[in-house]
Amino acid sequence: MKINVRQICFIMAAYTVVARLLLFPMELSNISGRDYLFSALAGFAVQTVVIWAVAYLCSRTQKTFFQLLEDTFGNIVARIIYGLFALFFMAGTLVPILEHKLYVHAIFYDTLPSLTVFLPFFFFAVFAASKGFKNIGRSADICFPLFALCFVFIMVMSFGEAKFAELLPVFKTPVTKIFGGTVAGAYRFVEPCWLLMFMGHFEYKKGDAAKITVSYAVAAALVLLFLAVLYGIYGSITPSRQFAVSKTALYFPAIDMLGRIDLLVLYVMEIVMLFWLVLNIQLAVQCISECTGYKDKFIISLAVNAVFIVLTVTLDHKFSAVQGFFASWFWIATLLFTVIFPLCAWALKKGAKR
Amino acid sequence: MKRKLTVILYWVIIIALLGLYFTNDFGIVDIHKTSIITAIGVDIENDEVLVTAEVAAPQPSQSGDNIKYTQIQGSGLNIADAMNEIKSKTGFYPRLQFCKLVLIGDSCKEHELFRVLGCLYRKNYSELTAIVAMCKGNAADMLAFKSPVTDITSESILNILSHELEKTATVSVANLKDIAMKAFSPSKACYMPYIESNQPGTSENGGNGENIGGEQGGQSGGSSGGNQAGGQGGGQGGGSGGGESGQSNSGNTGGDMQAMEFTAAKTAVFADGKFKTILQEKQAFAMNTLKNELDTISFGFDTEEKHYTFGLKSVKGGVDLKVKDGIPEVTLKFSAKAQIQGVKEKVNPAKTINDDVIPEDILKSAADELKTRYTEIMEISKTTECDFLDIKSLLYRNYYKYYEALEPVLFERLKLNFDINIGSIN
Repeated sequence: MKINVRQICFIMAAYTVVARLLLFPMELSNISGRDYLFSALAGFAVQTVVIWAVAYLCSRTQKTFFQLLEDTFGNIVARIIYGLFALFFMAGTLVPILEHKLYVHAIFYDTLPSLTVFLPFFFFAVFAASKGFKNIGRSADICFPLFALCFVFIMVMSFGEAKFAELLPVFKTPVTKIFGGTVAGAYRFVEPCWLLMFMGHFEYKKGDAAKITVSYAVAAALVLLFLAVLYGIYGSITPSRQFAVSKTALYFPAIDMLGRIDLLVLYVMEIVMLFWLVLNIQLAVQCISECTGYKDKFIISLAVNAVFIVLTVTLDHKFSAVQGFFASWFWIATLLFTVIFPLCAWALKKGAKR
Repeated sequence: MKRKLTVILYWVIIIALLGLYFTNDFGIVDIHKTSIITAIGVDIENDEVLVTAEVAAPQPSQSGDNIKYTQIQGSGLNIADAMNEIKSKTGFYPRLQFCKLVLIGDSCKEHELFRVLGCLYRKNYSELTAIVAMCKGNAADMLAFKSPVTDITSESILNILSHELEKTATVSVANLKDIAMKAFSPSKACYMPYIESNQPGTSENGGNGENIGGEQGGQSGGSSGGNQAGGQGGGQGGGSGGGESGQSNSGNTGGDMQAMEFTAAKTAVFADGKFKTILQEKQAFAMNTLKNELDTISFGFDTEEKHYTFGLKSVKGGVDLKVKDGIPEVTLKFSAKAQIQGVKEKVNPAKTINDDVIPEDILKSAADELKTRYTEIMEISKTTECDFLDIKSLLYRNYYKYYEALEPVLFERLKLNFDINIGSIN
């Protein structure tokens, strides 16, 4: 088997959190205000159910998702659906890449750097995305301890400044706005698709569905904790705080004397973020490979990353427009690919039980 | 073998390029040719924002003191305009990352606070960690004074705004984040320390917590223009409005500006972004006992016979709101353990052993004094319509169903209670 359950749990726990530490809090608080925790909670609740459903499905079949599709609908349909998943992974990675470019420019540089300083990321992405599931698993083994350490440090440095009374009163934001926040932030929820792609590539043992689901639920709880701390620190001005993870530890007393020691933690967390960004590209490459039958993943990775380079350069100063478009419309794709497809997978021909 | 070498070569290239990604690659700065803004002073002149930046310019030196501090001014219709002018004078991208103090001059009293400071709250313009304070006179003049304590004027001002002093209730420290959070909360009120400069070696007369200060000096009647007189000429300010501006070297860089001590015992309060009033020392102290996180404080008061100074430990203060039958009741809470630190009488060493066991009537006098001060600040809050004790926020958070009905009439209907509990330390 190419990946194991521990590594999947690490992926769920670490990448789910780091994917939501930059602009997600700002976007959500802009729409849902103080009640943005509930917008996030609604998104996570739906995704946790879907992840449990997919994980449980893994206990019922040894097939990959592609084989399930192929056995049910035939090879052509399976290839088409994988092609669509490839597009979904690529589209879902666009905003995170653009936001990451802004983050690197804003936090790691004290002047306005040129676009080219971000482009080396794609050299790494070309290489990593050409690797398979084994590589994804090993990366997770490295990233999880780094993430856990960094998250604990950030929380310790942030907790003292948070006044949780800022979150009161709860549920006073209109439900439409809370739900609006969930919908607008939906394009960041791709985790069930990861699990769908891992299906058949790991050996399922009794209780693994619970482990994977709990890992995701823990990650969701950590995101909610982070959101609560952020709002506790910034209150009504939270919607103006970009790149949230770099803002929460600023009021830690030692920073006054020692300078931005939190940046050391952010640098390390950046490594985890890079692997999270690459995961989506890796899965897009896997899907294209299955879709086209072309096995040289390096070439596919090169092509996929070339598309991202072109988009990054073209959309260099259009982040708000891109992000606004995704917030308005991408929930449809998210609903289709991360909820409907995974749940419908139960209806596919599963073959013999494990 | 060839494949392995290719992979190794690829990783070497990736690591090298990630070096560019994580470091400021081509933007490497020559430390001798740069400058860092450590504090800014903001004044308003003819509806234009005049920003005075205290700039640290590293100097080549074999050892010891190798940073030169100077003041650079820029002006414009907002802080960004003024900062752009400063940028053009210093050649440094002004992101205010190292700015630890934002000083607002008296002239800003007439203007909306968040119009003046607005730029600092824009995306990534500043980290909102800088301490913010209002000062008597012009901020430009204040930053230009020499300090007898340190070489850096902003540092000596920051010394009197330390967290240690905040815990003694003698100063109301606020940073950019704090004032925005409060101003954009339901109470719509914020406060910041009010800085005054005094002649070194002087002290203001008066006891009972009112003797912080000294002979006022320097800035009275002055203007930033006076400060600019010693500068190196002026230029047209940035932005469309661009006013006169110049570079001042009259601060701690060798000019003849006299040294000054700074105090911050008073507090400037704002409501709806507009300046309301200055809380005097006693009033500011009372507010600080309710709003600050406290440690050990010193508290002076008069009984019918003598003046006492208590050292208070295990101090806790706060504001509590309850709504009973539609009537809002606010309770100002204070509890502490007292020890006599000083009495206006001849000391009798044989009796000082009893300093830890204080008679009830003296404790009551202390509580009464505090009650008087609390009543006074509540009255100020009511008359200035400035909810600096955040009572409306408490109503909003804890009694939301009453908020709409009570918010407009809160201070008329508010029932004031006190829960002051000062006991002997032993």
